[in-house]
Amino acid sequence: MDIVTFKDFSWRYAGYRGWTLSNINLSIKKGEFIGIIGKIGSGRTTFCSSMLGLIPHFYPGLMEGEIIVDGVNVEKTSISELSTRVGLAFQSPANQLTGAGTTIEEELAFGLQNLGIPYKEMHKKVRDMLKLIGLEHFGKRSPFELSGGQQQKVAIASVLIMNPKILVLDEPTSQLDPLGTEQVFDMVKKLSKKGITIIMSTNNINYLSKFADRIVLFDNKIVKVDTPDKILTDVELLREHALTHSDITEVSIRLKKMGLYNKELLVDFDDLKKVIEGLIK
Amino acid sequence: MANAGLTSYIEKNSYFHKVNPLTKLLILICVIILSFTLKNFIYILALLVIIIPIAIKSKVLSMTFSPIFKLYFMFILLFFIQGFFHPYATEKLIDLPFGFTLWKDGLLYAAYIAARIFVMMVFGYWFVLTTHPGDLVSSLSRIGLPHALGYIILTTLQIIPRFRTQMQTIIDAQRSRGLETQGNLIQRLKSFVPLLGPLFMGSVQQAVEKSMALEARAFSAKGEKTSYRQATIKTKDKVIMVITVLFSISWEVLSWTL
Repeated sequence: MDIVTFKDFSWRYAGYRGWTLSNINLSIKKGEFIGIIGKIGSGRTTFCSSMLGLIPHFYPGLMEGEIIVDGVNVEKTSISELSTRVGLAFQSPANQLTGAGTTIEEELAFGLQNLGIPYKEMHKKVRDMLKLIGLEHFGKRSPFELSGGQQQKVAIASVLIMNPKILVLDEPTSQLDPLGTEQVFDMVKKLSKKGITIIMSTNNINYLSKFADRIVLFDNKIVKVDTPDKILTDVELLREHALTHSDITEVSIRLKKMGLYNKELLVDFDDLKKVIEGLIK
Repeated sequence: MANAGLTSYIEKNSYFHKVNPLTKLLILICVIILSFTLKNFIYILALLVIIIPIAIKSKVLSMTFSPIFKLYFMFILLFFIQGFFHPYATEKLIDLPFGFTLWKDGLLYAAYIAARIFVMMVFGYWFVLTTHPGDLVSSLSRIGLPHALGYIILTTLQIIPRFRTQMQTIIDAQRSRGLETQGNLIQRLKSFVPLLGPLFMGSVQQAVEKSMALEARAFSAKGEKTSYRQATIKTKDKVIMVITVLFSISWEVLSWTL
């Protein structure tokens, strides 16, 4: 069942000549994990914003085509209404904080308050969420006191706590250290297993190769949609879009050159391990 | 800065921190009404006798009076201007050289205004110190304050400290590009101008971003809203409220009959 459908969707920001996104046709199935890749300025953030309705409701511009999210037409539904179905973690976490709460707990509870969640349930959800993001000792601190990485976690949590069916993450690890990045990806993986549809924009190819069901390559239009092992091993294509292939692919390329391996290029660590183990034997 | 300087609220475990915000608000409102309607400044200043034990019990005594000392210059100026230049003065106190006269009713008028400001500020600051803004807004919304207005109150309470940090960031940024921010008064005033642009543009930009963040969290969703913080009205609140109202009325009557 398709949970998100783009039909000939095009978008041009007011004051710009070119289309930021043109002729987007894409269907995303329920529970799918979609990785969005592309160079800077390829329209990835615009794409992410469109599912919550920030485009077209918030930004002025020209829209063509339509977007259906969880059965409703984005153009005809308010952002508040959409926010109960779609959670969008913004690229800059500081922008996600509403300032409505003086502490992290209150910041997390803000969305629940608006939805009228009862007192006890709200407190339980906030506690659980703090635990999930590993900030249980920071609950009483001000969100503006946190480091960029911690803010990023709070920002994702503030969206997640509203229990959306679709989680859209726009560069969720841009301010995180390697460990923080791993934690976020682990969290996302768990959510994905629970059946939440994940749409993640990131150029971290190593992680996408492990978790994503499909990869969409953007360059103001959809260049290619395919499985990670097809798209992430296409060295030429990635280079063309200012992206680099993973080290695992590089190893398989070299093995091929040396004549030790002659099948398709690899992107998954376990696959490479098997090949190398085979060679050693 | 305590509490990240986001608000003036000081987290303490005291009797008055646990009193319902509405009760404290009632005290504040009564004090404001009294300080405008009492007969003379002695009656107004006498209200300070009440705030001292309250502030001690709230564990914020020195903090409560701290803003007053920062404003001593304003009080001096007030007495000076009213004492010498009160427009309706009739009673002379002392004649000074160069045709200056110190007027008695001018000084009395200054004392009246000073007492008013003094008392309202002390009570007001005590209120802010002991009342969590979140509790205040949640109690107010329970007695009918609109949701959006509640958010405005909450963010306004935090805006000045945030403005200050933003200002510091801009100063640092401009300094790193060679802006001279130290030196004599004129130099400092000059260096102030290039800070204003980014500050105001930044604020507008932020307002747009904030509204996006709010909408992304179902801010204008229809239906009933709940609150993360809950302050209930207990028996002690009711007792304090009754005492406050009774005292205010009798003090008012007393000031006009005696």
